[in-house]
Amino acid sequence: MNRLHNLLYAGVAAVISFAALPGIASAEVTVLGWPGGSEETALRAAVESYNALPGTPAEDKVGLLFFNRDGFYDKLQADLAAGSDAFDINVIATYSIGRYAPFMEPVDLGADAEKVFGKPILETMQFEGKQYGVPTDLSLHFMYYRKDLIDALMADQGAKAKYAEISQKYLGKTLEPKAPDEWTWDDWAATALYFTKSVNPDSPVRYGTVLQMKNLLFNMMVFQSLPRAYGANWADESGKVTVDSPAYRAGLELYKKLYDAGATPKDSLSYEYPETNAAWVSGQVATALQWNAAASELMNPEKAPAVAEDTAIVAPPAGPEGRKDHIHGLGLGLNKNSKHKEGAVRFLKWLATEDAALTYAKAGGSPALAPSVVEKIAVDRPDLVKLGQFAGSYGYVMRGATSAKALSIYEVQAKEFTAYWAGQKSLDAALSAASQSMTDLLK
Amino acid sequence: MNILRWLVFGIAAIAMNFPVIVTLITSFKSAKEIAMNPGLIVQAPTFANYARVLTDTSRFNIYAYLFNSTVAAFIGSFLALLLTLPAAYAIVRTGVGKKHLLPVVANLRAVPLVVFAIPLYMMFQFVGLLDTRIGLGLILTIVNLPLSLMMMVNAISDIPGEIDEAARMDRASAFVILRRIVGPVIRPAIVTAFIFGFITAWNEYLFGLMLTTRQAVPITVGSSFFFSASGGGVQWGIASAVMVLGAMPPAILGCLIYRQLTGSMTAGAVKG
Amino acid sequence: MRTIPQQREGRLLLVPLVTFLLVFLSFPALVDIVYALSDVTFQTMRAPELVGLRNFGTVLADPEFWSACWFSLRFGGLTAFIECALGLALAIFLSPIVCRYGWTIAILMLPMMVAPSMVGLMYRLVLHEFAGPLPYYLTLWSGTSPAFLDAGHAFWTLVVVEVLQWTPFAFLLFHVAYISISSEIREAAAMDKAGAWRILWRIELPMMKATIAIALGIRFIDGFRVFDNVFTLTGAGAGGSTTSLSIYIYQSFFKGGQIGQAVAASALLFFTSLIVLYAGGMLKSYRERRRVAA
Repeated sequence: MNRLHNLLYAGVAAVISFAALPGIASAEVTVLGWPGGSEETALRAAVESYNALPGTPAEDKVGLLFFNRDGFYDKLQADLAAGSDAFDINVIATYSIGRYAPFMEPVDLGADAEKVFGKPILETMQFEGKQYGVPTDLSLHFMYYRKDLIDALMADQGAKAKYAEISQKYLGKTLEPKAPDEWTWDDWAATALYFTKSVNPDSPVRYGTVLQMKNLLFNMMVFQSLPRAYGANWADESGKVTVDSPAYRAGLELYKKLYDAGATPKDSLSYEYPETNAAWVSGQVATALQWNAAASELMNPEKAPAVAEDTAIVAPPAGPEGRKDHIHGLGLGLNKNSKHKEGAVRFLKWLATEDAALTYAKAGGSPALAPSVVEKIAVDRPDLVKLGQFAGSYGYVMRGATSAKALSIYEVQAKEFTAYWAGQKSLDAALSAASQSMTDLLK
Repeated sequence: MNILRWLVFGIAAIAMNFPVIVTLITSFKSAKEIAMNPGLIVQAPTFANYARVLTDTSRFNIYAYLFNSTVAAFIGSFLALLLTLPAAYAIVRTGVGKKHLLPVVANLRAVPLVVFAIPLYMMFQFVGLLDTRIGLGLILTIVNLPLSLMMMVNAISDIPGEIDEAARMDRASAFVILRRIVGPVIRPAIVTAFIFGFITAWNEYLFGLMLTTRQAVPITVGSSFFFSASGGGVQWGIASAVMVLGAMPPAILGCLIYRQLTGSMTAGAVKG
Repeated sequence: MRTIPQQREGRLLLVPLVTFLLVFLSFPALVDIVYALSDVTFQTMRAPELVGLRNFGTVLADPEFWSACWFSLRFGGLTAFIECALGLALAIFLSPIVCRYGWTIAILMLPMMVAPSMVGLMYRLVLHEFAGPLPYYLTLWSGTSPAFLDAGHAFWTLVVVEVLQWTPFAFLLFHVAYISISSEIREAAAMDKAGAWRILWRIELPMMKATIAIALGIRFIDGFRVFDNVFTLTGAGAGGSTTSLSIYIYQSFFKGGQIGQAVAASALLFFTSLIVLYAGGMLKSYRERRRVAA
């Protein structure tokens, strides 16, 4: 008994004496970054070299701050809305810029910024014509495929008949194997079905593809390049919502067809980014549409010993409108309530210079850079060349995807589309509900 | 009969602890092995995940997160008991507050507290409690009040009235009665309420996320700093190691005071 | 018995709790009342525009609010029942060994020590078709493994996840109640040559009635407001089939930015459960009065 009492008293005393301890003093300019992964590593490297510059005054030195990833934007929302000055610079993304712009201040990056990033990339950080941030990382999707499997398929004359039979049965047209860089979405679907055990018992792998179908807004970004290749858009020029269109129907139905045929794991309705990676590295999947950020993990022999050597990437397949690839930028912008605006702007301007962008890229970040700039780092980061190429040729942003309600629209789509895939709603019901909510949101 | 009991205990322990066991095993696997081997036998055990979490202090400081959580959870569970024990005694013995206070407080557990997040944020900002361990501890107290009050009321109503009646006749103050008589008799209930409160506070996530940024970040919030990878990925090995470390303090606390929950010391107390 | 000075002392004992509640919750409650009656977003948080009861109308007319209520009711009821049944059975059946070997309690308490959000995350690995041990062994032994989280199974998977984590909670409550039953009562009953089952049904269970009611109530409330593990595991999927009321409120609060509606939904929940509690209290005192009268 006594021991417990002593323990309790000691605990209480410790709590009271420590509870008021002050923390470590913070740097003068605080940057709220995106935690974990290459974005964090690159930002740390950039900040380090900025602080080491001879011209950086002590009171303008930069310190870093990170929140948890889960709930990051909810926390940021609460902080900004309440007028917090705990950070001077914070992360923004193309899809959330409209939501946070009221709490932020535009920055003038100077004329040289355009030479470094190019106009379209700067635009990913603009809202209502004003520049709200420096673009740091660009995200888009790659079609990952297993080179060994596709090569074997292409070389095997006997497989053609089976391939044709499967494509006829499931897609209603007779197709033959093609190289991934020439795929249409139908070719991809036929290949995925061909490599599915439940469709083709001779398949060397269990599933032809792995689809991310969890009720999560980011999964809609992955998905929408498919309908986009059929000409889909959120709204037409007059602002009328066009989600209930043949293009969206084609995309949604193709996903559902693949899910129902068992071409993607049974639990795909709860899959997002990490599940897709885990499925891929198991070596039981032939193709996957996945974020570019995954390349470092999926093609690394240490982390993906079974498949790294055979993993290859191309841009997403083509539709009637050509190839389309969703792009969005991650960047850093200025908090309206900042108490160190001058120092913060100084850092942002430096971040938009060529030197800074190259430092950032060398440390593992994924900035989209103008061709003349990316050349200088092509040896170290060949993937950045591909990133710029895909973004330049196939990149698109849906109409309304930078508006204040863009995040909510993705949420609505995630809810309705996954309900259709899960068989909880008919296609008509899901689309009309999505159309209704999107119209309310885009008003 | 006892063999059967041990058998049931074994099955229950393994079934309920299954995710804990998997977490523990995964924490000793390298990223390579997680990709190759989903089974529960580790082929090449490694401490690299733990080393990474425990030594990466220049990036994120797990010791600080654990410390913050410990302080806040202590305040949250202890203060809740301190407030509810006298209140429960009053409710049971005098009936004051039984009609309105008890149901209203109990009902707080049913409401998703997220709706209080924004006003509390503004309030804390105003009084400077934002991003402090005390502030977080006070919020966790609110979270713990309903359960604590219900358990105290339940425990005190089980005490026969004669036990403290005599003391009250002697004009002993309520404080003395609570400390000398009621407290010892319902010790198991107090300990249980404390453990539950501590666990609830330790595992709380939403307010930890909303109300802290730098100084007072608790472990539930701090942990994902370690294991998130590019593009929303999860480094499973490191995530497991963080979870094992994060569950340690409440587990140790549980081990230290489980003795209070066994045996029939209560019967003795009633007799005495 | 209830004399005036006693009541005064009672009030005094309530002062700390009431003061604490007033200090911390009166301002938030006031703000929330205004928000519930306003059209308010994150941009207009400091200048909400009063719109009367419109938010309540919108919420009540939203079919998703009702389906979230239904999910929460089913989930809360089912998990509370299973957890309490299992916890009670374990507490009584294992009582001899648990009392003798205290460390067994520590083992059974372990599942509660891990934060529910982390448990949800871990189950994403445990249940993963390729990287998870459960499907791995199921496939190894039976040749196939079910889809745990598709539209048909997600609900039941979540029930099992919740039950496995929180049965220890019920177990612990019942264990404490069980050992608090005075040994004299048991001895007296044994003297009367009453069998073990008879003692259990006639004496022990009735004495634990209040604890059983409280455990059921707490587990029901906790199941009803489930959030963390469901959110990380299924993200309210598959296709919205696992949206609990807390998730509904959280999503309209942060994702939808419709603060007024989120607060209105919470207020509805608060007052509904308050009415249930009051009704329960009234029923109880009515019964007591009848018993006294009879």
